[in-house]
Amino acid sequence: MNLKTPFPDPVFARRDAFDKLRGRTRYTVDEACQGHLQAYLLRADVASGEILRLDVSAARKMPGVRAVVTASDAPHRFGIGVADQRLFATGRVRYKGEPLAAIAADTLEQAKAAALAVDVVIRPLPAVFDMAGALASGAPLVHPDWATHEVLLETRGAGRGGNLAWESQVRRGDVDAAFSRPDVTIVESAFRVGRQIHMQLEPRAAIASYADGRLHLIASTQAPWTVKNVTARALGLSPARVRVTAPAVGGGFGAKYGCTIEPYAAALALACGKSVALVPSRAEEMLSCPCRENADILIRSAVTRDGRIAGREAVVLMDCGAYGGEQIYLTTMTAHTLGSSYRLEAVRLVSRAVYTNTAPNGAFRACNGVYNIFALESHTDEICQAIGMDPVEFRRRNVLGDGDLGSTGQVFQGDVLGPMLEKMSQMRSKGATLPSDDGRLYGRATTVGTWFVFVGPSAATVNLNPDGSATLVTAGVEIGQGTMMQSLPQIVAAELGLSPCDVVVHQADTDAAGFDVGVGGGRTTVSLGAAAVAACTEIRQKLLALAARLLQAPASELSLSQGRIDRVGHPGTGMTLASLAQEAMQITGPISGSGAFTRPGVAAMDGCAAGHFLEAVDIPVFAVHDCDVAVDPATGQVEVLRYRVVQDVGRALNPSAIHGQIQGGVVQGLGYALHEEVTLAEDGAFRQAGFGSYRIPLAQDVVPVEIELHEGAPSIGPWGAKGAGEVPILNVGAAIACAVSRAIGVRVQELPLTPPHVLALLQGRKPALQLHHPQDWPARPGTNPPHSTAAVSVAG
Amino acid sequence: MIGQLWINGEWCRHDADPAAPLHRVLRENLGLTGSKDVCGEGFCGACLVQLDGAPIAACLVPVALAEGAQIVTIEGLDQDPVAQSLMAAMEAEDAVQCGMCFPGMVMTLTHLLKTCPTTDREKVKRALAGNICRCTGYERIVSAACRAAKDLVAADAQKVVA
Amino acid sequence: MHNAERWADRTTIHLPATAGAAVKLLGELGSEGRLLAGGTWLMRAPMTSGHYIALAGIAELRQIEIGQDRLRIGAGASHAELALALDGLDDLKGLADAAGGAANPAIRRRATVGGNLCTTAFAASDLASALLAAEAEVTLITPAGTLRQELAIYLDWRRTSAAQHHLLQHVEVSRRAGRRLCHARLPLRRAGDYPVAMVSLAAGSDRQGRLADVVVAVGAVESQARRWPALERTLTGQLPCRSAAITCAQANLCQFAGREGPEVPGWYRQQVLPELVARAVAQWAKAGGQE
Repeated sequence: MNLKTPFPDPVFARRDAFDKLRGRTRYTVDEACQGHLQAYLLRADVASGEILRLDVSAARKMPGVRAVVTASDAPHRFGIGVADQRLFATGRVRYKGEPLAAIAADTLEQAKAAALAVDVVIRPLPAVFDMAGALASGAPLVHPDWATHEVLLETRGAGRGGNLAWESQVRRGDVDAAFSRPDVTIVESAFRVGRQIHMQLEPRAAIASYADGRLHLIASTQAPWTVKNVTARALGLSPARVRVTAPAVGGGFGAKYGCTIEPYAAALALACGKSVALVPSRAEEMLSCPCRENADILIRSAVTRDGRIAGREAVVLMDCGAYGGEQIYLTTMTAHTLGSSYRLEAVRLVSRAVYTNTAPNGAFRACNGVYNIFALESHTDEICQAIGMDPVEFRRRNVLGDGDLGSTGQVFQGDVLGPMLEKMSQMRSKGATLPSDDGRLYGRATTVGTWFVFVGPSAATVNLNPDGSATLVTAGVEIGQGTMMQSLPQIVAAELGLSPCDVVVHQADTDAAGFDVGVGGGRTTVSLGAAAVAACTEIRQKLLALAARLLQAPASELSLSQGRIDRVGHPGTGMTLASLAQEAMQITGPISGSGAFTRPGVAAMDGCAAGHFLEAVDIPVFAVHDCDVAVDPATGQVEVLRYRVVQDVGRALNPSAIHGQIQGGVVQGLGYALHEEVTLAEDGAFRQAGFGSYRIPLAQDVVPVEIELHEGAPSIGPWGAKGAGEVPILNVGAAIACAVSRAIGVRVQELPLTPPHVLALLQGRKPALQLHHPQDWPARPGTNPPHSTAAVSVAG
Repeated sequence: MIGQLWINGEWCRHDADPAAPLHRVLRENLGLTGSKDVCGEGFCGACLVQLDGAPIAACLVPVALAEGAQIVTIEGLDQDPVAQSLMAAMEAEDAVQCGMCFPGMVMTLTHLLKTCPTTDREKVKRALAGNICRCTGYERIVSAACRAAKDLVAADAQKVVA
Repeated sequence: MHNAERWADRTTIHLPATAGAAVKLLGELGSEGRLLAGGTWLMRAPMTSGHYIALAGIAELRQIEIGQDRLRIGAGASHAELALALDGLDDLKGLADAAGGAANPAIRRRATVGGNLCTTAFAASDLASALLAAEAEVTLITPAGTLRQELAIYLDWRRTSAAQHHLLQHVEVSRRAGRRLCHARLPLRRAGDYPVAMVSLAAGSDRQGRLADVVVAVGAVESQARRWPALERTLTGQLPCRSAAITCAQANLCQFAGREGPEVPGWYRQQVLPELVARAVAQWAKAGGQE
């Protein structure tokens, strides 16, 4: 789509704001609190153990109890890359908090009382809580039966074995040769990050009912089709017997991208035939939260004196917790985050998902990218220091441009990051100078980052109604991001010449809408939008053909605009869309269109990627962030003084909505960078249990982000758009870390930069982070970890 | 035992335990789901209701101690002119995302606008120390409160002229 | 929904109208009965079945009396009420800051002075630290009669078995001319969380503007707020300047062992104390026009 074609109605307010402000919006948790049985999950209180006895007979007899389900009710394994998980711990407990039984009773208190009546005996087994321990030789295996797990996604050359859930590799060019060149400086860096909890205000929640042989789940989910398919698989049902609907969702950020709690409600509803609501308490929500994973990153580069990156290699360990889940898939992303942004002459990356006896991790806004960009940008600054080059100049020289190769050999199109860096310099030069004479330490940094739109299949149906309005039917969910309220009705309106107010958006319902991957990865506007455009194209063709007949004019001379169809250049000569739609009733019947979209597939270079689910990215998205910080040397407190973003949006369909996403995403990133910390207790459980101990940014901790949207980069998205909601969090950890590092003159290797962390760096209390992968250089696949002798090459 | 609460100008009867937190009684017994159950510890502000005119974390109030108080929930603020002005400003600033925190935000900020009509960004942010929003990054909420303050002052000035 | 069955064992909440009646009930109920003040602490965990004696209905407990030389705070007064009552009193600004900075606005409207001082599990009470520096005294009603104690003694006494059936009635602070109370707190965010350390300082000044009769209390660093006598001695006679404050605090830092917690390691609480002392001294100087 030519950028010169104006996109109509870029200012379009969200239609859900009025009710949300007044507390009228009914979220799943609001439906759940009256009129349903209430469910409670009995969870294991050890991290690793053998279940010797689990007797629920006494619990069944407790007052108010209507159903109790256990492992035998849901014996089927499911997962994302590997089917390694069951609904309930079966024979063995793998993390503290793993569900053992689910109970439905008239009240939550009764269900909890019944849980206490379950007779359970678990013999503790050795547990492993950190990745280094899990990969050490002789470590207790989280899945001793790993070899029997079914592999669900086919890739070439993945490694797995023992506590290594998945390994993917990238290899392009001769890295060994690059590192042995006489004219390069070798810079090696190590980084570590902890987990991040979503803390979305509405907990995950599900209401299940069973009628006419089918399950109906009302779920607070980002991915109704995933809930449908995983629930069916876990319970051994045909997916056709499961319907999922999703009302307004009170925040997700990835916590609701997988299917986690819904099957428990479903199993209970199946068991008793009554509707069952499952809403975890905040403490339960946190202890079982599919967090952004903790990760260890070891990276080194061979850089020439003039600042070219001759070779780069890295090993990234990602903690998947007790089950592989998203992390298996996310090993793929390292190639496109850590391996991106810069021109690399040769590159070798190893990305490993590692099992530990901790709660399973999951998806969180800009999965894998946030910490890999932190590592990459901090490493880049360390390189600049080593070779004595200005960090912005180094980035200008090395960022990917038109025709450059990504790590897997994909060819990037267009000069995007370069001009964005230029825009950032201009933004900076306009800013006022900050006072810096108050005894605090000042620092600033500019960072770059690469993300991509996770496209994937989507379906859309559009009905043109007899009154001239249109209804868009998809499985897309409004989780707060605004897509369903703003960009999608805007796109349909633009395609059909309507006002966006006249486009009704149907709430997600898997019985009404075709398949969709879900809300995540910045894909909704792009994938559902492209499917909607395709559906509208069908409608346009039908309308134009019909109008050509009625108006006695060739279809090519007609145009749709402002709710009318007229001859081009002769407004008012044709008819309204409403009258045309009514005419259609007599001639063709009601007019509708259906559309679909899937990733067109961009080529990687043959043989570069192994074990990847996505070897090249269809729509890269770039971001440049810049910040100024002040550090109090007495307390280690970091104040963010200014924050600036230049974001590649392809085309801004609704600038106000995008600005809102950027402000919110940056602030979530500030939490990750500065405040939000998860630490494990000795039993592997989180020490943070609520909003009191897990500190997310409050109003006084934030600044207004200065924003410039970069338009015009190539995109296959509808009207040239790219996803804009995912990427704002991408560079924040990096920008803050680099700025703080410059302020205090000490290398920053870990996030979050809480006041004690910063003060420890200032006082020299923190020893340099040593990541012990002695056998990791060179980062060759298959030379480790200890169980890799048994690793299999997965079919594909 | 039946409890009785004066909510939004009418008596509401319930049979919850006297120690049950007020927000759960509002939600589970009385169907007033605008007060959200988010943290249960008084940190997030999503459950705020007015108790005798000031916003209180309903999750920390045993329902028995709310008897005899004038309770106004977000549902009851609908006709309040200050709240209306604030909510209009929230829409004008395009502040709302997932929406879960907004009933509580409206509770806090309506009270601020009434008790401190000449507010500024710093005061608004201080007033929001117990209102968590995970989506928006706050700044538009702050802008909306400041906009509403201006609108209300202007409206008052007009009244005086009239 | 079967609401009648909602709570298996129902709770009883008693609402006595006088402090005397509350103490009588406490005696009658024995180990069954627990006092319920603002509820902001107890309500965080699901309340167990049993008897709660709510103090909310006792008007006498909510009074705040401000006299020329004496401040009396009813134990049932909320943090917000206290902060409001003290607004504009320069000598007690530190107490107003403690009351007006704790937690967040909605909690401050509910959490009471008495509840804050009685809760043994809460190490980060702003009021405990500020009132210690103010050399406050508490008045208790016990089955055996009324008892008056220095706050410092009470903080230990409340943990003993003798304290089982008492009711904190009010807290008294004497106001002495030329003396000012300041309170420096360090939350990890700008506000909204409990401070990881706090320093309260009360002092008068001599003719040269130097600190005199210094009292310093430290809260949140250890499991209970306490005074810092060595620093009090060292600071006395010092000019109220940053470098002196830091030097004196550094010299006496070893007297605190920071409490480990999920929010910060113990060493951090100790290491930030010199800065907090400096901030408290700076506030003190500013309030006296000695900036």
